[in-house]
Amino acid sequence: MELLGVLTSATFLAAILRVATPYLFAALGGVVAERVGVPNIALEGQMLSAAATGALVAGFTQNVWLGALCGIAVAAVLGVLLTAIVVELNADPIIVGIGVNLLASGGTAFAVFTLLNDKGGTTGLDSGTLPRVTIPGLDFVPVLGPLIGTQNILTLGAFVALALVWWLMYRARFGFHLRAVGEAPSAASMVGISSRRVKYLGMALSGALAGCGGVFLSMGAVSFFLRDMTAGRGYIALAAVFLGGVRPVGAFVAALFFGAAEAAAIQLGAFDIPTQFITAMPYAVTLIALCVFSTRVRQVQKDWRLKRRARLV
Amino acid sequence: MTTVEMEDRAAFRTQRRNSALIDIAGVLLTILIALVAAFVIVAMLGKNPVDAFTALITGPLERPNRIGNWLEQTTTLTILGLSVMIPFRTGQISIGAEGQLYLGALAGAVVAILLPLPLAVAPIVATVVAMVAGGVAGAIPGVMKARLGANEIVATLMLNVIIVQIFDYLVQNLLRSETSTAAVSDQIRSEYAWLRLQELTGIPLSRANVGLLVALVLAGLVWLLMSRTSLGFRMRIVGGNPEFAKYAGLPVARTIEWSFILGGAVAGLAGAHLVFGVFSRLEPAMASGLAFLGIVIALLGRNNPVGIVLAAAFYAYLRVGGDVMEQQTDVGSELIIIIQAMIVLLVTAQALPMIVRRLRAKRKAD
Repeated sequence: MELLGVLTSATFLAAILRVATPYLFAALGGVVAERVGVPNIALEGQMLSAAATGALVAGFTQNVWLGALCGIAVAAVLGVLLTAIVVELNADPIIVGIGVNLLASGGTAFAVFTLLNDKGGTTGLDSGTLPRVTIPGLDFVPVLGPLIGTQNILTLGAFVALALVWWLMYRARFGFHLRAVGEAPSAASMVGISSRRVKYLGMALSGALAGCGGVFLSMGAVSFFLRDMTAGRGYIALAAVFLGGVRPVGAFVAALFFGAAEAAAIQLGAFDIPTQFITAMPYAVTLIALCVFSTRVRQVQKDWRLKRRARLV
Repeated sequence: MTTVEMEDRAAFRTQRRNSALIDIAGVLLTILIALVAAFVIVAMLGKNPVDAFTALITGPLERPNRIGNWLEQTTTLTILGLSVMIPFRTGQISIGAEGQLYLGALAGAVVAILLPLPLAVAPIVATVVAMVAGGVAGAIPGVMKARLGANEIVATLMLNVIIVQIFDYLVQNLLRSETSTAAVSDQIRSEYAWLRLQELTGIPLSRANVGLLVALVLAGLVWLLMSRTSLGFRMRIVGGNPEFAKYAGLPVARTIEWSFILGGAVAGLAGAHLVFGVFSRLEPAMASGLAFLGIVIALLGRNNPVGIVLAAAFYAYLRVGGDVMEQQTDVGSELIIIIQAMIVLLVTAQALPMIVRRLRAKRKAD
């Protein structure tokens, strides 16, 4: 009963949002990339670079906004770099993504060590965090108030990003082009859509979204950057993308689920449940879902509309 | 054989040799570009690049124990590169080497800690157990991909995390040593340990062991598998053109499964090397990041066993040199990761061979 109490308390629900924020952004970025036809395995590296850049710039300029902006920009640039190598030089996006991740892992650690002479991270640098905001009027609502009343601006930003990405993908001309390029590149170019331009823009957007998640890690959850602090979050986000059926809302919900599992693992550390199993649980769920969905997709593969998704899942 | 056939064959051989030469030249040039770029980065940061690169390049050969470290890392990286290569050649992007390695190490160590066996069979039994465990970890995503059509990248990534968590749990709880304060397992029984090269040669080669010979033999076996057996032939066809393989009536699903199983078994062997040859016990995060390095090695070695041995030796050399560089100068060993990343980006892009081929084609056309 005590366990149930912990898991339903408002602090736990707030913790879910806090833990899930990086996943939410990165999963949205993953959806955009997957839909434009360039699998973005570099989410991890983009988050890491954004986290490091954000903390470093904010620390040296004493301006958190400039730091966040630079972090997001660096992540977007990595997205463009990945696309350039994939599109112009005809390379495999997965391998290039691994290369970008390596570059981010080495580059951030090298930059931090060179600038601060510290192997571990930027804990010695006073870089501050992005502000927490309270939605006016919401703190009086009984349940919702303590839950999302006061949150880091980026946590609320994740919900805004969901709305924006959804609108962009399904209601804006660019999103239509984006999905067209991802689904049928030759048909898209036949009607005059520049698949190269759309891919670059889409991947820059994907990188920027992952960058928001990265910035939250070093400037929202805590106020410093640690070496390899993303710790595989980019891959979790990728799992959320597939678990959510490569759709913005689905991926968002899946990312929330992953956040909930991680928050539970943290909260239940006090109880006699091995945290490793709770941490592994969402992955096991994804693995099972992957089996179930791919079998189902196989059965209806004759339907041409599902062909594309069959390849994805 | 008719004259025409012989001429055809000769022409094909020349073409193949030329394209291999271009490949090798491209890889060497890529490495050179990455090293020069790293040199420039160090210089731009106002540090002394000559000192740093002297340490990086001559450091590993200065002391026998550094040579030992180099050989030890070469062993692990060669085996991992070969493990990644098998599914790669079958057209499967498996990122599962990490999980397979950990499961292999776990299974092998459990046997080696709990089961007393005579010296003659112990290492063989434990190694086979590790390879079987790795193969099982490979079979799961293999079957998912081949029979259910699941995305192998996601499946292997998920399985990696699950296995690493199980590994962590067991090392920190059931297998945790009571005599040690750190969260590590008990030592393996002495009869299971792989013979150190130091005992064979008398030179203090750190933790380098007979695994090096195992890795070299394995490279030969993988070459045999790929170019002299029907399974290897099928793998290459499935990897080159799955549609053709299907219409030719090849068992595509079974071939894909075997590529995952064999790749997993080889990764399990890498785990065995770490447990029996290097650490002599289980440690958390004993191989973190190594599996991705296996992918890098396979790419750099152009998915060719000989190339993989050379690439692994090169990478291990860089890693050992990077540590020396960090000790002796103020340049961090992270520079090595940046060099690696640049090599991956340039090698996958095949930018250089592509440019060379284009130029040659142009010259021919003129």
